[in-house]
Amino acid sequence: MIGLNSIRELDDRYGLIVIGAGPAGMAAAVEARRHGVGTLVLDENAAVGGQIYRSITATTQKRLAILGKDYAKGAELTEAFAASDAAYLARATVWRLGAEREVAVSHDGVSRLIKADRILVATGAMERPFPVAGWTLPGVMTAGAAQILLKASGAVLGPKTVLAGSGPLLWLLASQYLAAKVPLLAILDTTPKGNLRKAIAHLPGFLTSPYFRKGIGLMARVQRAVPIYSNVENLRAEGYGQLEHVRFRAAGRQHVLSVDHLLLHHGVVPEVNMLRSVGCDLVWDDEQMCWHPVADADGRTSVAGIYVAGDGRAIYGAEAARFGGRRAGLEIAKSLAAVDDATFERTRAEIDKGARPYLRGRIFLDRMFRPRQEHVAPADDAIACRCEEVMGATVRDVATRLKAQGPNQMKAFVRCGMGPCQGRQCSLGITATIAEIRGITPGEVGAYRIRPPLKPIDVGQIAGLETIAEDRH
Amino acid sequence: MHDEFEYGVIGGGLVGASLAYGLAKRGRKVVMFDEADIARRASRGNFALVWVQGKGAAFPVYSDWTIASAMAWSSLAAELEDLTGIHLHHRRPGGFVLCLGEDELAERARDLASLKAHNPDYPYEMLDRRELAKVLRQVGPDVVGASYCALDGDVNSLLLLRSLHMALAQHGGTSLPGRKVLDIGRDGRGFRLKTQSGEVHVDKVILAAGLGNMELGSKVGFDVPVRAQRGEIMVTEKIAPFLHHPMHIIRQTNEGGVMIGDSHEEADDYNSVSMPIQSFMARRAVRMFPCLEALNVVRMWSALRVLSRDGYPIYAQSSTHPGAYLVTCHSGVTLAAAHADRLVPALISGARDTIIDSFGLERFHAEAA
Repeated sequence: MIGLNSIRELDDRYGLIVIGAGPAGMAAAVEARRHGVGTLVLDENAAVGGQIYRSITATTQKRLAILGKDYAKGAELTEAFAASDAAYLARATVWRLGAEREVAVSHDGVSRLIKADRILVATGAMERPFPVAGWTLPGVMTAGAAQILLKASGAVLGPKTVLAGSGPLLWLLASQYLAAKVPLLAILDTTPKGNLRKAIAHLPGFLTSPYFRKGIGLMARVQRAVPIYSNVENLRAEGYGQLEHVRFRAAGRQHVLSVDHLLLHHGVVPEVNMLRSVGCDLVWDDEQMCWHPVADADGRTSVAGIYVAGDGRAIYGAEAARFGGRRAGLEIAKSLAAVDDATFERTRAEIDKGARPYLRGRIFLDRMFRPRQEHVAPADDAIACRCEEVMGATVRDVATRLKAQGPNQMKAFVRCGMGPCQGRQCSLGITATIAEIRGITPGEVGAYRIRPPLKPIDVGQIAGLETIAEDRH
Repeated sequence: MHDEFEYGVIGGGLVGASLAYGLAKRGRKVVMFDEADIARRASRGNFALVWVQGKGAAFPVYSDWTIASAMAWSSLAAELEDLTGIHLHHRRPGGFVLCLGEDELAERARDLASLKAHNPDYPYEMLDRRELAKVLRQVGPDVVGASYCALDGDVNSLLLLRSLHMALAQHGGTSLPGRKVLDIGRDGRGFRLKTQSGEVHVDKVILAAGLGNMELGSKVGFDVPVRAQRGEIMVTEKIAPFLHHPMHIIRQTNEGGVMIGDSHEEADDYNSVSMPIQSFMARRAVRMFPCLEALNVVRMWSALRVLSRDGYPIYAQSSTHPGAYLVTCHSGVTLAAAHADRLVPALISGARDTIIDSFGLERFHAEAA
């Protein structure tokens, strides 16, 4: 790759701009460059890897041993990306994507507008918000954030740390803590009891997935070493000014644990704000309980020239993201007449063959780890919108008494979703609450409209947009 | 569900809700219709000024109407706060129009002088830079002066919308959101309003649907001369209060965010913003207040003004469909008080009203002739 140091080094126009340097973004850039497409990769972090391979280029042997083989796999892809000659700007925040494939990007306090013939959105997934009472207290964080600490600096939390929730990442983090020889106080497994019954029909498919063996071994190791509470309900974090204890119900009894850290996690969902803001169609996926961009297998969205790949399209994990990214890169090269038909067909067959095992059995995981509704729709005494401090009770009251039809009316009435996170943390919860009250599906309720900037950007940078263009001409 | 009402108000924005509330509190049996979660709305995107200065330069009756509403605003706010417990953050500290350069200042002075020519009591002052800086200490070096009007103020317009909806319910009014009115037919001496899910009978119907009035109006004999004009806004992160007066293009909200809105485009797509326009607005705002430069913008949006051909409100009863009224304006915040407490009694009494008669459709016919 050609690492750029300044926003002034960017061209005004590229064949392809890839947003995000995780597995999908890197694989797409490598493939597109292979066919000669002028490619720029923009990424928010200081180094490539995305969240899954975060800090992979600066890790240590000790950390690799803790984080495991799947993390180490990221090195192979980052090396391939480094060997390519795609342009790459780190610490670059894309704060707007326009339908004419215009990208507003900020770097070191300066913003510019650049254009591309094709855009690939490879912004990945985010953890599903977990809006239980007390989730904003200091001492409560997500399991994903705790894993970033581990990846970026080898830091672990202790000693009185509890993991709560459900899903593969929860168990993975627990096993990584065990590998680091850091004890966990307990795991509060919130997976509803009935999930297994609904998932079991899909077990045969999952048995053929590479994730099955890994998952089963990992869960067994953790279960031997850490006290587990199963079928946990009514989870709440409590404390005066900071987390002091967690309260929950399990096996018919109320429990209170005194803790320093609570790590929450109940799955990941595609981060769709950028796609939504540019007008891409999205659909509600009731299996994964989240919005998915409407896209074909090549990642083509409903907006011309805009593609999506990786977990931002649908949750299948890093390996599938790598193949999905590569396929989008190949398709984009074809759409720009940069690859001949024979090479295209041969390469696509090779990609699809490689991807197949990682696509198997996902529905088993979706059903097995389907989150509890009470932890998706904020409780009355839980903060629904962190930015604007709107309580679940307020949302319910306005949905009931003023009959707010959807999240956009709700936003006008109570300000939820108006803050700097652009609704990332409250969107699913608000939609779920309104759906519950109106007795319709989240898909029928809809989601917030997303406005720029996707990430906060200072007035000076917006004021400076035109002058930069003028300087250059 | 009751499906017969005395008044049907079509539109649940600030104009519709002000009227529906005004009717309900006077004991009228009223139903208010609104569309689904996403629609072409003006009330959710406005700048929230209760603004007098400069309005009605070529139409003095509009100037009077605006002043009357601004004067009545405090009592509307107090009444709604009593009823709903929601503090609307209405204030009337006087507002400024800042001028960047001598040309802007001279033009501003000319416009306001023409208002004064119509109304010798017209309340405004022109301030030079030195006088202005005493009140607005952070003002930038490019600001050469300003106009000031003591009647200008602002409000939290989203809370206004919420409290009007609540107050309507508290007075026994019915709100039917998610029920777009698709057709209006005769029903005896009244009207039958057809929605996606059922029909509702009303004796009288008030069209307060903003841009939707164009299509609805055609069902009851109105040719509605309005168009969409796009305005763009950006809002910053929240900071400690430092702007204690609203300005025509910059104001600090009660929550602490600074709103900047300075554009007029002939466009009817409200789903996008234009980077050149946002950049232009940001540059002017930073020239007015250099301290804004470092603030983070959390949101940009565009919204559609509902503009009549001459820019002034339209209040009219249909000549072919008596009992059908048209109400449209682009100042739903400023005129909320006049609409709830001045226009509504006039609509109820049915007697001729000189102010309201001046806002009829006849002025456009005269213009055409």
